[in-house]
Amino acid sequence: MSKIFSNSDKSLKIIIVGCGKVGTTLAERLSQEKHDVTVVDTNAETIQKVTTLYDVMGVTGNGASFSVQNEAGIDRADLIIAVTASDELNLLCCTIAQKVGQCAAIARVRNPDYSEELSYLRKQLGISLIINPELETAKEMSRLLRLPNANSMNSFAKGHVELVKFKLPEDNMLVGKQIKDIGASSLGVLICGIENEGQLDIPDGSNIFKKGDLISFIATPVNTNRFFRHIGMKKQHVKDCMIVGGGRTSYYLAKQLSEMNIDVKVIERDKEHCEKLCTLLPNALIINGDGADEALLFEEGIKDAGSFIPLTGLDEENILLTLFAKKNSKAKVITKINRSTFNDVIEELDIGSVIYPRYMSTETIIKYVRGMQNSIGSNIETLYHIFENRAEAIEFEITEDSPVTGKPLMELSLKENLLVACINRKGIIIIPRGNDTIQPGDTVVIITAHTGFKDVRDILK
Amino acid sequence: MNYRVVTYILGWVLNIEAGLMLLPFVVSLVYGEMSEGLAFVWVALGSALVGTILVVRKPKDTTFYLKEGFVTVALSWLMMSAVGALPFVINGDIPRYVDAFFETVSGFTTTGASILSDVEALSQCSLFWRSFTHWIGGMGVLVFLLAIIPMAGGTHMNLMKAESPGPSVGKIVPKVKNNAIFLYGIYIVLTFIMVILLIAGGMSVFESLCTAFGTAGTGGFGIRNDSIMSASPYIQWVITIFMILFGVNFGVYFLIITGKLKEAWMHEEARTYFAIILGAAAIMFIDLRDIISGTADAVRHIFFQIGSIMTTTGFSSVDFDMWPETSKTILVLLMFIGACAGSTGGGIKVARIIILAKTFGKEIISFLHPRSVKKIKVGGKVVEHETLRATNVYFVTFMLLFVVSVLLISFEGKDMVTNFTAVAATINNIGPGLSMVGPTQNFGFFSDFSKLVLSFDMLAGRLELFPLLLLFCPSVWKPKKKLS
Repeated sequence: MSKIFSNSDKSLKIIIVGCGKVGTTLAERLSQEKHDVTVVDTNAETIQKVTTLYDVMGVTGNGASFSVQNEAGIDRADLIIAVTASDELNLLCCTIAQKVGQCAAIARVRNPDYSEELSYLRKQLGISLIINPELETAKEMSRLLRLPNANSMNSFAKGHVELVKFKLPEDNMLVGKQIKDIGASSLGVLICGIENEGQLDIPDGSNIFKKGDLISFIATPVNTNRFFRHIGMKKQHVKDCMIVGGGRTSYYLAKQLSEMNIDVKVIERDKEHCEKLCTLLPNALIINGDGADEALLFEEGIKDAGSFIPLTGLDEENILLTLFAKKNSKAKVITKINRSTFNDVIEELDIGSVIYPRYMSTETIIKYVRGMQNSIGSNIETLYHIFENRAEAIEFEITEDSPVTGKPLMELSLKENLLVACINRKGIIIIPRGNDTIQPGDTVVIITAHTGFKDVRDILK
Repeated sequence: MNYRVVTYILGWVLNIEAGLMLLPFVVSLVYGEMSEGLAFVWVALGSALVGTILVVRKPKDTTFYLKEGFVTVALSWLMMSAVGALPFVINGDIPRYVDAFFETVSGFTTTGASILSDVEALSQCSLFWRSFTHWIGGMGVLVFLLAIIPMAGGTHMNLMKAESPGPSVGKIVPKVKNNAIFLYGIYIVLTFIMVILLIAGGMSVFESLCTAFGTAGTGGFGIRNDSIMSASPYIQWVITIFMILFGVNFGVYFLIITGKLKEAWMHEEARTYFAIILGAAAIMFIDLRDIISGTADAVRHIFFQIGSIMTTTGFSSVDFDMWPETSKTILVLLMFIGACAGSTGGGIKVARIIILAKTFGKEIISFLHPRSVKKIKVGGKVVEHETLRATNVYFVTFMLLFVVSVLLISFEGKDMVTNFTAVAATINNIGPGLSMVGPTQNFGFFSDFSKLVLSFDMLAGRLELFPLLLLFCPSVWKPKKKLS
């Protein structure tokens, strides 16, 4: 009998507002992870469907209304996730929920108008996490274009810092050198993990690189590039990119690629929309035309394109376009697939890297929920299990009274197998050295082989 | 149809029933009825054996749609009744299998209609098992199953939907498992309190347990020939109050426990339920004041009978077949209304009556104002069109089944009141009717055919008609095509 109750002590009470693609996927995943999930949607039929499919409770109504939230049990909820079609409604949902209950709130906000102000919104409205699936999709795509070397990447400090893992090639200049000799810190890079043949080291400076090491380092995206250039890893990143369709994802992607000095060409059907994009993306070349027109694609030079990413609203069209590009050029192609049906058929097609935006935003939220599960009652911001769960990367928010603040790091007696990997001071990223200090108001990323840290003070011996 | 998942769940049901059958065996040890008690052990061993074979391997394909849910529930109840009837036949308490089946169906469906003319002649363990089936059937075996067996996603809801009574099945907490634990929690606590109160009133422990089982499941099997008639007024009051409590929507108890007293107080179905009880009592009091001497006795008997009939329990504290026509008519009407949705009681359910009445009101207004737009609300919330449709269809189906059953029974040539109330008392899971099936009579005189028809009515009534009717639909039995 005790087994029935054991898995319910750690379960969270979660309210999901909006049962679209993401909301439904979340309901499925979170209920599988044994959380108490309540879904809210205005459409009674949708609620009916979701509650029949998954072990969740349904409430019909407007999720931003106080009485509906009350019915869904906001007073005892741990988390509210607002993923309706409207940004404003999502924000309102979260704001009201925060006033009524003592819960964390996640909102989906995807309008580019707000994209620059997300951290401001987050702080002012007291929202725990704002997700922007289009922005995240664009980031994932630009990463794939930018870092073909990387095996995986986790991001911290809302994407300002990334933890990149790559495999050291045989003839690299790093082989045989000690960490402290390579001058990584002057490049703003911190090596935070070396894996070899299943052994994990959290290095302290004296480790020697061997061929075949899986090296993880933490850095800002710009410094990641510099580091790869410095160590002479052939930077195969593409010089130009052709995007079909001018939606939100295209906008974010084009903007990021422009910042990385990649030539961007956006093909968009709607004339008016082209003009708008032209103002928003001064560095990109906007082409007004049908991206599904063979002649136009040849004219715009698909044969010599470095990369080709179709981002139309139709999965079928995207797949056909990448198949076409694969056939006619050597461009790196990425296919975005919104719906997740016919997966086994899609897997058989030669369509380059496939990205499922729906799973990406779900993953982000699931990660947050998992982090939350570990951080009830403490000041952990986010938590990742890294290196196949052998280590944890934890982001702490530093409150005023921490005993670790104000002292240079080298004067703190830290536990072994532990790294203070990064300090985020109001958006400025510091890769800390011995002289740096932790200040109240910072968030710090700790990488540790110890598990179960509940508070930042746990890093001390 | 995904037969494998269905048989897997059926296997679990068999195992649970086998476990439950050990209780009457324990009773037989207490009362030294070894020979009668062993019948339960043999049947338990047999069903545990079959059950274990069915559950030993988990099915790989766990697709489970509403169709599977309905079929599983219907088959589970049929199987439980068929197996539960065996000990009666084996230990000789009810020698004929059809009679034993009728008695067990009546037990599990919490009807309480009996074919026995002399209940007191049964062995104690059989009496215990008879009452215990009420308690099991009241909340439902599959709800219990949901509380203890982890199953994949859709399975839960589709099972719960098929077994729980009420026009629209909602949850009170997000997880089906916690719902089930909560419901059984309340059920067990209330039953326990009742047992204590009955023992305090001087009843023997054995009789208290059996009476409490009969009340909690809103069943109505007594262990005496005269039901509750010879019990003290205190005992009768305790039973009255608990019958009415078990007929309340369990959601109200959840609201009370979570401190939402205002919502509990404003619960529309519960309010209507109590209003009907008080209204019926008032009319009957006027009708009966000259017949029953003493106001206290009159009030007690009236509330006892109303509580018993409306919650579809079927105990009786007097022979109400002797009452005047007005009172009898009211009781027959209450049979059809039944208890609240989400309780252990049967009948059409107060929630459906509310929706039907409001639909009627809406139609009247639309005659006066043909262009008027009006949505039906219950408890301040709009009732979805789907629920309205389902409620109307339920009512029509109920009436059709009722009429056909009365017709089938009438071939025996019994009088109209007997036929009518026999079907009403079984399809609504009450127990006693009027005339030849009145509170002091029994169903033993019916032919085997009629007993099977009435058994079917009891199961259909308990499972909200459709799961059982679905079994007669050929396309349900088509095997699921394998993807090649």
